[in-house]
Amino acid sequence: MKKNDLKSMGKSFTKYILLIGALLILLDFTFHRHEYFSFAEIYGFPAFFGFVSFVFIVMLGKWLRKFLMRKEDYYDQ
Amino acid sequence: MISNFIPGLIMIITSFLLPTIPQYFRHPAMLLSVGLSALSLFNGYGTFLEWDILGLNLILYQSDSLTLPFAIIFHIAAILVIIFSWHSKNLMEHMATLAYAGSAIGALHAGDFFSLFIWWEATALTSVFIVFAGNTNAAKDAAMRYLIIQVSSGVLLLIGACLMLYQTGNHNLAVLDLKTNFGIFIFIAFGIKAAFPLLNGWLQDSYPESSVTGTVALSAFTTKLAIYALARTFPGTDSLIWIGAIMTAFPVFFAVIENDLRRVLSFSLNNQLGFMVVGIGIGTELSLNGTVAHAFVHIIYKALLFMSMGAVLYRAGTTKASELGGLYKYMPFTTIFCIIGAMSISAFPLFSGFVAKSLIMSSLGGMGMVLIYFILFFASAGVLEHSGIKIPYFAFFAHERKNKVKEAPINMLIAMGIAAFLCIAIGVFPKYLYQILPYAVEYQPYTLDHVISQLQLLVFAIIAFLFLVKIKLYPSEIRSTVLNSDWFYRKMLPGIGKPLFKKIGLLTDSLYKYLGLSFKQVLSKSYKFSNLSYIKVTTPSFAGTILISILFIMLVIVLV
Repeated sequence: MKKNDLKSMGKSFTKYILLIGALLILLDFTFHRHEYFSFAEIYGFPAFFGFVSFVFIVMLGKWLRKFLMRKEDYYDQ
Repeated sequence: MISNFIPGLIMIITSFLLPTIPQYFRHPAMLLSVGLSALSLFNGYGTFLEWDILGLNLILYQSDSLTLPFAIIFHIAAILVIIFSWHSKNLMEHMATLAYAGSAIGALHAGDFFSLFIWWEATALTSVFIVFAGNTNAAKDAAMRYLIIQVSSGVLLLIGACLMLYQTGNHNLAVLDLKTNFGIFIFIAFGIKAAFPLLNGWLQDSYPESSVTGTVALSAFTTKLAIYALARTFPGTDSLIWIGAIMTAFPVFFAVIENDLRRVLSFSLNNQLGFMVVGIGIGTELSLNGTVAHAFVHIIYKALLFMSMGAVLYRAGTTKASELGGLYKYMPFTTIFCIIGAMSISAFPLFSGFVAKSLIMSSLGGMGMVLIYFILFFASAGVLEHSGIKIPYFAFFAHERKNKVKEAPINMLIAMGIAAFLCIAIGVFPKYLYQILPYAVEYQPYTLDHVISQLQLLVFAIIAFLFLVKIKLYPSEIRSTVLNSDWFYRKMLPGIGKPLFKKIGLLTDSLYKYLGLSFKQVLSKSYKFSNLSYIKVTTPSFAGTILISILFIMLVIVLV
């Protein structure tokens, strides 16, 4: 039980987040969401934007490691 | 009498008296001095103290609607830092912290560029001791670099102020533009302290090297003082919109791959400053309110995040993500406070970040600046990535921990508790924050559109995180150094300069050797010459005679 604490926490967290996510998308269909820019009013646009931005940031960051990452004692050499 | 006393000055005086105060009374004395300084908040607006010196009229103490919110939050930050460092016995750091906070508060109340310059340098000279108090070799080196950069900013400010006085005959704080040369000098001086892109290296270099408590103090004042100065002198400067937008997006990628969590927070701090700079660049009443509100709430949640990482450093001995994880079991309160800070900075509804960021986003939307709007929207997903998820996840969760650690000391928990309370209180009751903003603007952050839009962004970014972890694409933490703009002066310039100077050194060396040889020859010849029997003089007097005759000849030439 003790070893799986984090795993079970992670699982239930994932479950709740997915549930909230689904609710938020459903809510989008119940009313017209006013935005400053009309294309942002498409159903689920912020959700899509958030998901894609996040993946983009992580992937580009990972790729930047090729250029920016050095050994820990780089400046001491 | 007390109403003419420059706010913050009492804190500086107390800081000098600290060594004479017994250990147990030092923190109460520090708190008392902040309390006395805070009395100035009730003075109202106006000019309270001027000083005519060297033909200049210095405005040492003035206050208006832009000064007040910054002065309030600087006092709150000082109190938080003092409580957070209650357990510490590091006298040098206490003195530096109190004087630093005092100088920053003094700077807010300066009414002209020369008084501002004095306080500007005072914040640099006091805060360098906080970096220094990190007490490692790395901290000492970082402190020296920090000092050079900070003082350079001050020198640029002084040059700008002198040019302005010379060209316009005026040196009072006023709205400037970039068409004048002094405007550019002052702009760059402020830009260094506000950590503009490529001028930001000092921030991520020095802050993470400071002590457990030092970083909290550093995070509050210097950069926000620069934001205040920019808001006062360059509101509505278009280039600030782009500079700010780059600042929000650019550090996000560095924060993803940085291993030291306090350095991650320093990148995050840089990104937050970007939002404020955009607000200044737009320059409308709504956007300037947004900048001030954002600075106000940012100081609290950023201090809270730095405090939680300070507590982790204090107990676990490191803030490297690759070495942490699983601390939630041992430090439950710190975990909760950190998550509150993380949710505030990520701008979840009902947390303080939301009610402040909305102002800036609304003013962008209202102006129809679609590209900048979405850069900032994108950067919001970035904030969630590094401050909202990475910090709490790698420190407190990630994987089970083997060695036990203790919960943070009670004073740290109290400081974090107060900050966490403020984060939620401001988020739930934003009207109290809106009341102290510079301009009276009716604004309602909690509209259904806005809440749903923001929640969708955040929740689906979290889902993206879970998804990336699930398919094992989320980058694991690696012990490493991530290059930043300080690379230019830490590696590139020495890389060019060292070999160059070595070559010049060799050249001058051989030149001297050659000169030395020929000098020896001349000397030996003259020695032989002086030993000749017909010159019955000793060498010094012989040389003296020659020198005097040469001088005499020159005199004759000049006279004729």
